Amino acid sequence: MQAKTSDRLLGLFLILLGVAFFASIIPWQAQAADYGWLKPRTLPRILAVVLGLCGLALFIRPPGDVRPGRFYWARAMLFAGVLVLGLAAMSWLGFVLVAPPMALVLMWLAHERRPLWLMLGAAGMPAAIWFTVAVLLDRPLP
Amino acid sequence: MPELSVILAGFGDALAPINLLFILFGVALGQFVGAVPGIGPVMATAIAIPFTFGMHPLTGIAFLVGVNKGGLVGGAIPAVLLNTPGTPDAAATALDGYPLAKQGKPLKATKMALFASITGDTFSDIVLITVSAPMAILALRMGPVEVLGLMLLAFAVIAGLMGQSLVKGVVAIALGLMAAMVGTDPEHGSPRLIFGNYELYDGLPLASVAIGMLAISELLKRLSETRGTVRPAITLPRNQPRADRSVSWAEYWGCRFTMLRGAVIGTILGALPGIGSTAAAFMSYASARQASKEPESFGKGSLHGIAASESANSSVMGANMIPMLTLGIPGSVSAALIISAFMIHGIQPGPFLFSQQGQLVYGLFGAMIIANLINLWVGQLGLRFWVRVVSAPEPFIFASALLMCFVGVALASGGLFGIGVMLVFALLAYVMSAFGISVVVFIIAFFLGPRLEISLSQTLALLNGQPQKLLDYPFALVLMALALVTAVALARRRDTESETR
Repeated sequence: MQAKTSDRLLGLFLILLGVAFFASIIPWQAQAADYGWLKPRTLPRILAVVLGLCGLALFIRPPGDVRPGRFYWARAMLFAGVLVLGLAAMSWLGFVLVAPPMALVLMWLAHERRPLWLMLGAAGMPAAIWFTVAVLLDRPLP
Repeated sequence: MPELSVILAGFGDALAPINLLFILFGVALGQFVGAVPGIGPVMATAIAIPFTFGMHPLTGIAFLVGVNKGGLVGGAIPAVLLNTPGTPDAAATALDGYPLAKQGKPLKATKMALFASITGDTFSDIVLITVSAPMAILALRMGPVEVLGLMLLAFAVIAGLMGQSLVKGVVAIALGLMAAMVGTDPEHGSPRLIFGNYELYDGLPLASVAIGMLAISELLKRLSETRGTVRPAITLPRNQPRADRSVSWAEYWGCRFTMLRGAVIGTILGALPGIGSTAAAFMSYASARQASKEPESFGKGSLHGIAASESANSSVMGANMIPMLTLGIPGSVSAALIISAFMIHGIQPGPFLFSQQGQLVYGLFGAMIIANLINLWVGQLGLRFWVRVVSAPEPFIFASALLMCFVGVALASGGLFGIGVMLVFALLAYVMSAFGISVVVFIIAFFLGPRLEISLSQTLALLNGQPQKLLDYPFALVLMALALVTAVALARRRDTESETR
């Protein structure tokens, strides 16, 4: 994607975001007040207008200073997916049971194949964290 | 002012072997725990407080001061070596520390951070020891209007970090402030933008947002860039010349004005309750870049960049003690924790502290100076260890750092909800980076947002619809004028730079 095209798309998104905040989200999520100098909706609405205007500026005059296509989106989302799954599993099973397989999967996806490093990452590091946090510092692990 | 004999007795107490031992233990613990993303000096101090219950008051408080000071140095280590700052105030250090580490000079980068940190910390300690009382009175005169002026000045200075596109910089500020709006509205006390989630009543947890955006997004980016060949996270060239491993006296001395400026900014902001070290670090970094003859070197591994941020964020620590010791008002969460330690030992900080407990106070001052020296010594040893650790393979380091971020954020924000927030903001930061929107500016705006809104609300109430009342606040007017001058100067500089390009 051309840099200027991506900036125009970003501008369009910000215009929509600004409008959504101003017209829908803020009235829904911030109470109206008829007293006081700075009402709950005042600053968020100013910010929504700023976002919309910035979006318009980007749409009209895109700077074209970056290329989002240079990022490895699919692989980043893959790693992010592992973290989200790890978090979901942690809410059921806890850190101690989830951390070793999560570390193993992350290292495997990052092309680590050496058994020693896999062992250190999947067993050694979670054990060290457990020992430091749960035993030495006496704090609960997630 | 206590008698000289009391002052000398206090300093003598600090030199007692048991106190020295606990300062050493505190500094080492602080540096180790501070290097873990998410834990940082505040969490380390909170964890350490129960251990002080059975100690002599000076020993216990000196231990906590050691933990806090060690944590400040430790916080810079992951920022410099992995570009994953464990605390928001170390994010400014990563801007130049990490590029220098990537050039194969991780020891030089971390040593500069250490030296600047100790320099800034010692400066603010000296200010605390010598002029704490007048500083505290001055700080107390900073009402909401003056704080609003200061906030505007902070935003104007930090605008220097916005990057090439001014519009995208404003987008980053607006998004950061919008994130800061989540939680309870300060004037009316009504929930805002919480979407029925009452865990957001106090706002988005700072640790989750900061670590998600600064550390996790960077780890995701680096993990996504891994290819078939596994590399070390940091490459240490063999037979590296000494100049690339250490900071020479000439290099250190060359940064003296940068460090002095940073220490002054940190000391002033630290003396004001509630502003904190993150704002100080970024203000110092931005002003150093503006004052530099080579602003283009910033962000590419400049020693001045590291010196500016570390001297400022560390000098906040000593300055936080100024309102705490003289008035009993804690300037930060760390200071509040140390106040609680004072009270646990039956000591009430405040105006009478110096007259009633002079020996203890000067003992504490002595312990602070000693802690700085020990910090320098332990830091020199510890940095070599951490640099060795991060020369392990990337997958191992990144997976370990992710696990530590999970645990650190869960500890700081009270559970899995904080980790969820962290992941959401990590993805947001990834997208923002891809589109050239500054994550750092977002974080600063998010951090300063609540303070800005409160001071704006209080200022409007004080002015009561009469703008001419602003003339009653000359210092606030000076700050606002400075903010305007800074913004105009930045705009002109930006125009000149874009014409040159």
